[in-house]
Amino acid sequence: MTFSLSPDRPWTGTPLRRILNRFEPGLWFPIGVVLALFVVFSLTTSSFATLRNFSAVSGQAATLLIVCLGATFIVLMGSIDLSVGAIVLLTGAVSVTALNAWGIGWLVIPFAALVGGGLGLVNGLIYTKGRIPSFIVTLGTLSVFSGIALTLLDGRAIQFNAPGLETISIGQLIPRLPNIALWAILAWGVVVVIGSRTRFGRYMYLIGGGEQVAQTAGVPVGRYKLYAFGLSGLLAGLGAIFAVARLGAAGPSLGSDLLLNSLAAIVVGGTSLAGGVGGVHRTLIGVLIIAILDNGLNLMGVSQFLQMIIKGLVVIAAVLVSRKANAGQVIK
Amino acid sequence: MTAHFPVTPASNPPPSQANLLEARNLSKAYGPVTVLSDVSFDVPARSVVTLVGENGAGKSTVFNILSGLTRPDRGTITFAGQPFRPDSHRAAVRLGVTRVFQEQSLVHNVPVYENLLIGEEARYARFGQWVDRKAMVRAARRIVETAGLDVDVERRTGDYDFSTRQSIEIARACLTPTLIRGVGEPLILLDEPTSALDRRDEDTFFDLVREVRKYGSLLFVSHRMAEVLDISDVIYVLKDGALAARLRPDETDEHHLHGLMVGRERARDYYYEARQHRELPPRAGLRAEGIRAAAGASEVTLEVRPGEILGIGGLLDSGKSELGKAIAGVRAPVGGTVALKDGAPQAPDIRRSARAGLGYIPAERLVEGIIPAFPVAWNFSIGSGCDLFSTRAGFWRRGAERRAAHRHIEALAVRSARPETPMHRLSGGNQQKVVLARWLERRPEVLVLDNPTRGVDAGAKQEIYRVLRDLTDQGVAIVLITDELLELIGLSNRILIMQRGAVVADVPAPADAKPSEQDLVALMLPGAASSSEQVEITT
Repeated sequence: MTFSLSPDRPWTGTPLRRILNRFEPGLWFPIGVVLALFVVFSLTTSSFATLRNFSAVSGQAATLLIVCLGATFIVLMGSIDLSVGAIVLLTGAVSVTALNAWGIGWLVIPFAALVGGGLGLVNGLIYTKGRIPSFIVTLGTLSVFSGIALTLLDGRAIQFNAPGLETISIGQLIPRLPNIALWAILAWGVVVVIGSRTRFGRYMYLIGGGEQVAQTAGVPVGRYKLYAFGLSGLLAGLGAIFAVARLGAAGPSLGSDLLLNSLAAIVVGGTSLAGGVGGVHRTLIGVLIIAILDNGLNLMGVSQFLQMIIKGLVVIAAVLVSRKANAGQVIK
Repeated sequence: MTAHFPVTPASNPPPSQANLLEARNLSKAYGPVTVLSDVSFDVPARSVVTLVGENGAGKSTVFNILSGLTRPDRGTITFAGQPFRPDSHRAAVRLGVTRVFQEQSLVHNVPVYENLLIGEEARYARFGQWVDRKAMVRAARRIVETAGLDVDVERRTGDYDFSTRQSIEIARACLTPTLIRGVGEPLILLDEPTSALDRRDEDTFFDLVREVRKYGSLLFVSHRMAEVLDISDVIYVLKDGALAARLRPDETDEHHLHGLMVGRERARDYYYEARQHRELPPRAGLRAEGIRAAAGASEVTLEVRPGEILGIGGLLDSGKSELGKAIAGVRAPVGGTVALKDGAPQAPDIRRSARAGLGYIPAERLVEGIIPAFPVAWNFSIGSGCDLFSTRAGFWRRGAERRAAHRHIEALAVRSARPETPMHRLSGGNQQKVVLARWLERRPEVLVLDNPTRGVDAGAKQEIYRVLRDLTDQGVAIVLITDELLELIGLSNRILIMQRGAVVADVPAPADAKPSEQDLVALMLPGAASSSEQVEITT
């Protein structure tokens, strides 16, 4: 797969340049960061570079990746979704409740996708019909969704009783690779194709790069914004059920770290909050950076508090370095 | 004031007689594309120098270099006797070179005086962070008074219309160097300053130019040749990134300049008037009924037939652009319907209209027309995402998109463009050809064009005019909204004149009996005609 579709990287230049550009020179930096983190943690801890640990990391990163896939489209079209963590929490809570009440078994997977998608559409409808900035809309629904979820859970973790359901996440169709990571990679592949080869994907770039231009040319901007929020919610819902299956329960802390981590992964991967630049393919690398950082710092025994500081600085540094290419644009 | 030859200090001692700016052998290339090669020119002190040339000839690059936005690959510049190498726009301003950009850079939501003194606030600071507002207002008043503007500096900038805002911007660039920063001999760069001015503000502008010329110099870019000949001391003609000629206005004329710019004399039949259709089919290509673009506007009913060009003229605040947006359905009108060809009358909506065969080209190209960072092909295909360039399953037809973009690049001679070239690399005229191609690909039946040749050079203009005539031959109905009178007269079969959101005159313009500019201007000015009567003019 080549990533030459991204509009921020023209194919012009010398033949050699053109070949390099096919792989987006902007990608080399985040890939370099992944490799650097890899080397540093391998050298400083004995337990990082082990198959067992990679299994663990992939399991942890998978939920984040699935949730980030849809949210990347939102950022790509110049909006923001702060509520993905809350959607994960609420979908998790509703799904476990439904599972225990009605015993729907495997059907809980499409059920969770529908619930998540519905919540995403709620965001999208308020955003497009009410003409309220997405930041405000999702900040509000973040609180609303979390509140409903915590009411449902009554502040406790609820286990599900559906024997075998956990295998969708922690089973290993491919040895050493938890299924949840497998699904995440497959979902990534599908969404990358959506982003680069479909009308939906193209419209996301166009809306992010020039919403007024798209509107003037007859692109149904409002409808596609709605689709994007629906898709983001749907993937968050799927992420929720896989996370619940992996943990065996839905608890109040489900998805609580996703707000920072999802935006960090998307931005570190190279999708600009200004819209129109980046893409889903890049988000995989952002997720790897965040997940490896989390895992490595844990293994080094760095305290939780210091980890927060480091992660925050890494996000800012990554954006600082990658921003050079489009210096001079207005920062909001 | 045309002391352009290097003067020997002995024979010509006063420094003000020398050149304020000397550029030598400037060259610039972006990858394989050379945009400027070996260009040398002088700006004599206290003079007006104009750069003319087609879009893409290198004028903007010269301006970008002088205003510190780009650095030349080779070449030197001397300004006021010193080497001039600004590394940012701010540095250029500090050295005394200011610029009015083609697109406005005023902040709408603050009073005029803050815009006039933007970046100079430190001069008015009291006790650290507090700003001496009264002193700022006084300084700003001095600027608008010197510029001869009727502007209240304490009013919100956005309350003034586009033309007045442009005047404010020009006044800022022309007068802050001397009045505020105390630069003795400023150089002011003006990039098509008059294209956005209406007639009332143009006179004020030329007075200001004469005022500034008493102590500083101005470097112009303009496509209006009459204006160029009128105000310039020296004219430099750029062609394909190189200097083609250096002339005094008294040794040239419009035709000669056009000839130098495009390498040929401008065709006498610039607007292809001979190809204007006399006989039009009785049915309508587009019929707009009772359209009210905004709450304050009157109802407008108009009809355009296949093969007809209906011109709409008026001052900048006449509401003609808003009417265009309403008819195309880009901005939903307050009321009224539009029927395309045989279709039923409906409230216009660009999403549906575009699929039914309507195309719309906006006036504000960089805001509404193109996405500069995206490739030519993407900008081209944006209007056809729902049908031509995606499959029923929703997959994008990238091959078809590329081939079609390539075909139009060839057919319209979009210079130095490939489907994957980012739009911002193209000159204004070539960008506009891409916007035109966006709709041509859809084989439209109706086109609504708002200033389709704004910021487009003479050569590309004529190519666009030719395409419009080709379209009328194919029976396309065209609504042409334009601020350029000659274009309005030359292209239109019939001309509607608007004032304050209402159509005040319907002027026939057959090829053999075109109305004159004076006739139309008289109709545009308030008080010339009441909204009820239909004025017919024959010349």
